[in-house]
Amino acid sequence: MSSTTKASRIGEEIWKTRVDKVNAELVTLTYGTIVAQLCQDYDSDYQEVNKQLDKMGYNIGMRLIEDFLAKSGVGRCANFRETADMIAKVRTSVIRNGYMSEQVGFKIFLNVTPTVTNWTSDNNQFSLIFDENPLADFVELPDDGRSQDELWFSNILCGVLRGSLEMVQVQIEAHFVSDVLRGDDTTEMRVSLVRYIEDEMPPEED
Amino acid sequence: MPVYSFYIFDRHAECIYKRLWQPRPTSLAGKASRSGSDLVGLGQTVRSTDDDAKLVFGTVFSLRNMVRKLGGEEDNFISYTTSQYKLHYYETPTNTKFVMLTDLKSPSMRIALQQIYINLFVEYVVKNPLSPTEHPGGVGVNNELFEESLEQFVTRVLS
Amino acid sequence: MSAPPRHSAVMSISNAGPPQSASTDKPQTPQQAQTPTQPMSGLRVPSNRKTIYDRHLNRSRNAELSRASFAFLFAEMVTYAQRRVTGIQDLEKRLNEQGYPLGLRLLDLLFYRSTSTSSSALSSSSTSSSPPNRPLRIITLLHLIHGPLWRLLFQRAADALEHSVSADTPNEYMITDNDPLVNTYISVPREMSMLNCAAFVAGIIEGVCDGCGFEAKVSAHNQPSEMWPSRTVFLLRFGDSVMEREKVLERAGVK
Repeated sequence: MSSTTKASRIGEEIWKTRVDKVNAELVTLTYGTIVAQLCQDYDSDYQEVNKQLDKMGYNIGMRLIEDFLAKSGVGRCANFRETADMIAKVRTSVIRNGYMSEQVGFKIFLNVTPTVTNWTSDNNQFSLIFDENPLADFVELPDDGRSQDELWFSNILCGVLRGSLEMVQVQIEAHFVSDVLRGDDTTEMRVSLVRYIEDEMPPEED
Repeated sequence: MPVYSFYIFDRHAECIYKRLWQPRPTSLAGKASRSGSDLVGLGQTVRSTDDDAKLVFGTVFSLRNMVRKLGGEEDNFISYTTSQYKLHYYETPTNTKFVMLTDLKSPSMRIALQQIYINLFVEYVVKNPLSPTEHPGGVGVNNELFEESLEQFVTRVLS
Repeated sequence: MSAPPRHSAVMSISNAGPPQSASTDKPQTPQQAQTPTQPMSGLRVPSNRKTIYDRHLNRSRNAELSRASFAFLFAEMVTYAQRRVTGIQDLEKRLNEQGYPLGLRLLDLLFYRSTSTSSSALSSSSTSSSPPNRPLRIITLLHLIHGPLWRLLFQRAADALEHSVSADTPNEYMITDNDPLVNTYISVPREMSMLNCAAFVAGIIEGVCDGCGFEAKVSAHNQPSEMWPSRTVFLLRFGDSVMEREKVLERAGVK
């Protein structure tokens, strides 16, 4: 549990001192127009919209993790040992105790700290519960009888997590299981470890 | 303090950026430079810079893996020195590798490589909307902001 | 205005306009503001009532998010737009279209906030009177964009506001931003040197103008200077009807 408090403290400190900021409403509304545009382009085929959002998130995650690492450990670790510790935490034990990366990462991306809970006994799956979700701040889903059953409005976050963890060689699968926008009481994302990714080798010479 | 060259390798083991400032002396060029300057860097022109990049990658990749085997997962090498040049190495947790070759007298470039990662690569490549998230063939890394600031950093700050 | 009262949280919002206007996700909203007894007819709501109707609109007023998260979202918007366009003009048009609905919504937020803070002492005044700050003249509108809108979006005012000096184009105005937030991380390749991704912001401005009843076309142009390499000029061209109305109002002495 101590790693959780440590993670939130690190997140808080980085957030306060090292993150350039913008008005949250600009982000919220920009995200809203992206989703609305997708709904329009895909003719309210919400499955497809979910997929596109996940893809966008994946790209964002891959960039976000670089920014996160640059801002956090790596940036101020003149000392190599510290850097290595940071890498080790992020890389080798993400699922067991290193979910700090998600916590810290979401703090920096969205200024929220999701609760980590509902572990499976093999420690390969857990849930993230979002009490606050700035992306959904001004949102009501279209009253078309389908959107609340089919659209995961914040699906981009699944992609963000998938993309950022892949960059530190952890492959995961993530999906939402509930969302207050659908009338559920919580917003919950389920995360499962798929595998740890090995270093890639250069292609063989002809 | 001469910087000879600089490389970035991505997590797919591909060289996504390379830049040469001064030809690195090789034993052949070292001798030749005394007799005629047009032969300087001969050793490099014979071999294409592409091959150079591959050799550099192979070297740092093997070194890093051996160092980890010896000293544990968290160990890594920082630089090595030959009789001709010094190679500086910095690897991010995302497996992006930054390599710089300098002359022998150069101090550690570890911090400099970190700075290039944090202040140039992340700011001008990673955050650039017009640059793709991955860079097959180096696409997106060679943008004006990145290249110019790298040039400034190397020529004004490091020299 | 004699609609049956909803519960108080909604009332405080509805004073400033229909709460539906703040929803970011209703491209084809049926107008349901007039049936307040069933505000969310077909939609399920969480039992803890965390809905846009129950939470205060000013909750996020001073909230901040990381600039990088905006940059990354914006990057995805640009990338996605690029997949579906044929050229630079087309890309800018699409970015403009993405900004436009944002402008409409921000306008609601701006009005709501400026009335609720400045006239809280006058809260007994009739809701039917128009908000005191709605611009009627071009110059008031421009000041609204240059000041409050820019501050809401970028935490500072824009850098310059000018009127076209040419007698042929009295309908043209320019708003300058020396260093647009949206272009912070953008390095435009030479072959696309005309591109300015602040077309998105131009779209926002266009939405604000249209929302106020000032039909206009707004475009973003690169005007780099030695000191400000990404300096951008937003060119606002107002339509003929706006210019004619402007003359009438001028004669009538409306400010």
